[in-house]
Amino acid sequence: MMQRALLRRFTPTLRRSFSTVEETAKAGMTLNFSLPHETIYSGANVNQVIVPGAAGEYGVTADHVPLVAQLKPGVLQILHEGTSDAEKYFVAGGFSITHANSTTDISCPEAVKVDDIDSAAVTSAFEQAKAAFSAAEAGSLAAAEAQIDMEVNKSMAAAVGVSLA
Amino acid sequence: MSTPTTFWRIAGMSYTQYVTRAATAVRNGLKEPAKTKALQHETFSYNAASWEAGKIGPKKQVNKLTNAGISV
Repeated sequence: MMQRALLRRFTPTLRRSFSTVEETAKAGMTLNFSLPHETIYSGANVNQVIVPGAAGEYGVTADHVPLVAQLKPGVLQILHEGTSDAEKYFVAGGFSITHANSTTDISCPEAVKVDDIDSAAVTSAFEQAKAAFSAAEAGSLAAAEAQIDMEVNKSMAAAVGVSLA
Repeated sequence: MSTPTTFWRIAGMSYTQYVTRAATAVRNGLKEPAKTKALQHETFSYNAASWEAGKIGPKKQVNKLTNAGISV
């Protein structure tokens, strides 16, 4: 009894201190973003990535639950540390894999800067695809190709603020 | 695969065909300096050559496999 009381009096800090392990300097997550012809980011440390998943858009930060998602044609936003403006890329599709160690691998067949999108070209391509879709036989390959063109161009137009229907 | 659910699967396309078509649509919607640069990513051609008695003949550049006499 006596010894325990003494022990408690002489070692209070040891029992009640918080961890003294240093916080790892890296906040944020690691991003690997590559295309077949170019690696855009390899091992980059970013704050957040907003991914256009086929089942819906979602944001990834550090310690996100592991996730594999197919991408739909849409805008991928990368938020770097210290900035509030996202870097935006329009991706044609692909896959995003988030690992348990806060690393996200995004692989796309094509990704372009949203600033490079030509709204006039996209609008006319959409109208052409819409015409091709109505002219094609339902369920045929030509109809599917026209539908892909429609969806991608509609999404590209939305990325630059033009709404097409 | 079980019953196809996406419109492109039902029409007989594979995922690769679907995504490359989407990539082409993206490249065609760009403004000029970026557009020509991006369209270079999708051009491709083949070299066709015949083998005779263990030796390769002259190579000919073809842009479609059917032009080389290979049925796709």
